[in-house]
Amino acid sequence: MKALGKKKTVSLAPGEKSIDAFLIVTYIVLILLALAIVVPFLNVFVISITSEGEYVRSPFMLFPTEPTFDSYKALFADGRIWIGYRTTLIILGLGLPVNMVLTVCTAYALSRPGYPGRKFFMLFALFTMFFSGGIIPLYLLVKSLALTNSIWSVILVSGINTFYLIIMRNYFMALPDALIESAKIDGANEWTILFRIILPISAPILATVTLFYAVDRWNEWFNAMIFIRDTQMTPLQLVLRSIVIDAQMIDSSVLGSSSAASDSMVRFAQGMKMAAVFVTMAPIMVVYPFLQKYFVKGVLVGAIKA
Amino acid sequence: MAATRKKASAGAPAQRSLWKRILMNWQIYVLLLPGLIWYIVFCYFPMGGLSLAFKTYKANLGIWGSPWAGLTNYNFVFRDPEFFRALGNTIVISLSRLVFQFPVPVVLALLLNELRGSRTQRVLQTIYTFPHFLSWVIVASVMLNLLGNNGTVNAALGAAGLEPVNFLGDEKLFRPILYISENWKSAGWSAIIYMAAIAGIDTEQYEAATIDGAGRLQKMLYITLPGVKATVVVMFILAVGGIMNAGFDQIFNLSNPVVRNVSDILDTYIYRITFQSSADFSFSTAIALFKSVINFIFLISCDRISKLVGESGLFA
Repeated sequence: MKALGKKKTVSLAPGEKSIDAFLIVTYIVLILLALAIVVPFLNVFVISITSEGEYVRSPFMLFPTEPTFDSYKALFADGRIWIGYRTTLIILGLGLPVNMVLTVCTAYALSRPGYPGRKFFMLFALFTMFFSGGIIPLYLLVKSLALTNSIWSVILVSGINTFYLIIMRNYFMALPDALIESAKIDGANEWTILFRIILPISAPILATVTLFYAVDRWNEWFNAMIFIRDTQMTPLQLVLRSIVIDAQMIDSSVLGSSSAASDSMVRFAQGMKMAAVFVTMAPIMVVYPFLQKYFVKGVLVGAIKA
Repeated sequence: MAATRKKASAGAPAQRSLWKRILMNWQIYVLLLPGLIWYIVFCYFPMGGLSLAFKTYKANLGIWGSPWAGLTNYNFVFRDPEFFRALGNTIVISLSRLVFQFPVPVVLALLLNELRGSRTQRVLQTIYTFPHFLSWVIVASVMLNLLGNNGTVNAALGAAGLEPVNFLGDEKLFRPILYISENWKSAGWSAIIYMAAIAGIDTEQYEAATIDGAGRLQKMLYITLPGVKATVVVMFILAVGGIMNAGFDQIFNLSNPVVRNVSDILDTYIYRITFQSSADFSFSTAIALFKSVINFIFLISCDRISKLVGESGLFA
């Protein structure tokens, strides 16, 4: 993003009108697009803090006149959201270290030059991005390992993300060779080099990859849906799915039948549904603006070097 | 690979030095081992499991013990109208995404670039990229709140005295909603790659153009756009490579049985026949293998083409 900043001089170049019609149109379009993203989220939040009575009177209002936390009370009393938070935090707490240890060790080994089989191991990892066995053999494998209904199914199945692995390997490879060579002359072994020399100067890539994995673990739902049937171990995303989407599908399927009874039933639940949406995305919403630059850096490192 | 080749061609001295080199690097192999085991167990083992496509699955015998069945499964697959519907939908939706989704981040990057360096640009970019980090479960929930039968948009239509629209239950509207909501979620994030390409354009070109009296629009069309052309070509080739993946997460969370005719893609079909009805694992694996092979051919071809046009391929 620094490179973009440097170009400021261009837009202020002499002889150029500082404001012209084209720029105004650009501003208007971009701000409308931003509103198109913000307003749906705002609507979700507003419905979650609106009383049922007010929602029925005017469901598309932007601000409630009498905000209430009844929907959140109902949501937390329901209990499922606690199970979701607990499960997701366990997946995050156990899965993230597994992801990082596997990825760091493999990326470092693949970044080292001149050992027999290096090229083969690299292709071995890369090939999995082109071809995969798909979900059915994976399901049967997890079942035969007796991992179904265990949190470890979800954690182990997503052990390494090959794209993140490559980003990290490329970063390690771009580090100056002299650092490693001089350590080797001093008699340092590979793990001393990795932990004492490489990792301390790799903070940016470690932060980026950790964040990518953390978001992935937070958003975990598909594998859990297949491998975990126990309702006491449902991750947050699937709790949200059961609260919002499953209910809505019934609603969309029986189209046209908006009888008074079903109408008020759906509306009664809407506040709680939106509270669930908000609670599920709030952690990402809170940290994202501060950490955005690391995400951006990650995708750029990957794009330029891959 | 290099190792085995050397072993085969060279004589005893080379072989000894190979072992010596392996021994010398034993620590690296130890570091490699956990990752290697993971790839074997969770990637290559399931790949072998695709052999199920040519077997008749017996639960008590497992993948490896089940008897071979030749092409029997494919006899059923290629006579299954639902398979062809899913295949057709996959291709149509993927191609439509190339038309309705692919250009959006390019345009967005060009527009954002006009605000370069400003605080407004940074704030807008944060807003645009945010939805990318939410799961489709969340985004679909947000969309359902807007577009559901009792959703916000229909409430507004009702207040304006208009007929409500069943957005997600209408075969004509469902696919446009897919393209719009995918853009809503991901276009901002995809634009970052083009922003980076724009940042690499030589600033002197803009200065020269300014001196020649070029306006913003002219500079955008004659300097910025040609400057990102190479990136656009590579991204397009990569997008073509993903043609068999029409977006499972999105469609699974947004669709409902009413629109299945236009929404059912290979991935949702495979999921449904495997996990939601009485499962015939061999039959669904046959479809999964078909999809994986076509996908592989597309990816490899696109990687080659990308290298041919002088750009780096998918990887390395």
